[in-house]
Amino acid sequence: MKVIFVQPDGSEQIVEAEPGSSVMEAAVFEMIDGIIGMCGGICSCATCHCFVEEPWRALLPPPGPGETEMMNALDDVGPGSRLGCQIILTEHLDGIRLKVPKEQL
Amino acid sequence: MSGIDTPAPHYDPYDYRHHDNPYPDYKRLRDQAPVFHNSKFDFYALSRYEDCFRAVRDFRTFSSAQGSNLENINIEVATILDSDPPVHTRLRHIIVDLFTPDSVASLEESVRDMAIDLLRPHASTGSIDVITDFAARLPMSIICRLLGFPRDDEDMLRGWTDAAVHRNEGEFGVPAEGHAAMGKLIEYFERDIARRATLPPRHDVIARLLSAEGEGRLSHGELMGFMLILSVAGNETTTKLLGNMMFQLHRHPDQRAVLLAEPSLLPSAVEETMRFDGPTQMMARTVTRDVELHGTTIPEGKKVALIFTSANRDERKYVDAESYDIRRNPRDHLGFGGGLHSCVGAALARLEARVAMQEMLALMPDFVVDETRLDRMHSPNVRGFTTVPVSFTPNPGYRA
Repeated sequence: MKVIFVQPDGSEQIVEAEPGSSVMEAAVFEMIDGIIGMCGGICSCATCHCFVEEPWRALLPPPGPGETEMMNALDDVGPGSRLGCQIILTEHLDGIRLKVPKEQL
Repeated sequence: MSGIDTPAPHYDPYDYRHHDNPYPDYKRLRDQAPVFHNSKFDFYALSRYEDCFRAVRDFRTFSSAQGSNLENINIEVATILDSDPPVHTRLRHIIVDLFTPDSVASLEESVRDMAIDLLRPHASTGSIDVITDFAARLPMSIICRLLGFPRDDEDMLRGWTDAAVHRNEGEFGVPAEGHAAMGKLIEYFERDIARRATLPPRHDVIARLLSAEGEGRLSHGELMGFMLILSVAGNETTTKLLGNMMFQLHRHPDQRAVLLAEPSLLPSAVEETMRFDGPTQMMARTVTRDVELHGTTIPEGKKVALIFTSANRDERKYVDAESYDIRRNPRDHLGFGGGLHSCVGAALARLEARVAMQEMLALMPDFVVDETRLDRMHSPNVRGFTTVPVSFTPNPGYRA
């Protein structure tokens, strides 16, 4: 399945991902700029922050308390903000588009 | 600069002399030999933040499939540490949701109760060994609880996990005692699983692993690897973090005073301790192609030590990197590693460290370490004390 990362300059990178992997893993496997995944996916560093574009936001389960708490500590949260490690890719998310923030740290 | 007073950059993590204070060695490596070749054991070492960070991110070039030790561990049990995606991803996904901050939060009360139980007998005496009386016991109790092992087995299990990480002076490889200890651990795990089959089902980490094995998502060898790594990694490193943190607060009374005055800084203080003096000094990778870096070529197939605690003190990365500043709250240190192999137990370690430090500081805010009786473990990967005797004003009212 395809996952599309949109860099702050508007350029797009399309990666192939395995269903069951996370958005963070999809990015890190292809070393996408701006998605770090420092903690390896235990919702503890908020360095895989990204902005989910429409119409995919409504297809995702809402963030849990831990994800919300991590995002509360970020300066640049906005509409569609999520932590990539907490979004598990399923077939119905094929083609999901995510904007990469300017900075993670 | 004269070369007379300044030793040439060198890195030998099997030399016990290196273990007392490796940080001057690391600074020389960063400044003069950022790609260091140890010709005795034929491995390379990276010591700057940028290089270590790049290496943990570029897992295709810096592979873990040949193990995360400099030595090729000669044991049939491969752990998640010794894998790359997609194997690594499959293994990590089986348990990762059990180790998020949300998931481990429910353990806080048990951690605190265990900590208080361990500390209270010493409250009136005014002395305690931070490691042997407390920090060596607490993490193993929690791991036994998480894995469903009887508490009576804690001391035995800790003896084996300690032996598994020990290295003899100057010896490149696992000593016979270490192999024997790993064998004992595996036998113990097999017996535990056999015993489970006769008992009502439990809802712990092992139950999760067993159901994955039942569904064909985990081989039996991988199950053993998980039990091994959860036992060893969950025990050794958290113990050493607590010892190192008490030692640093002892050596930096100004920082201790700040922390006592502002207890809300504790999570930041834990992060700073992980950056400044974290227990995991180094993890190894194997390069899958020739790597050119700083004018040196690391040939394909060579082991590379990623010295995380050197990266964490890289003045190219952190302002005033060699000072201990509990307000710094670094989010990007490599104390738990970084990237896909980053410590899966980090949230649990943070919880344990926070609760343990709260309780130790409540019991003995004025503790003094007896530096003459300090002793430390010896491993190329993990650094920390085996004994940290402290004295304090007796506090019979502690959690009375």
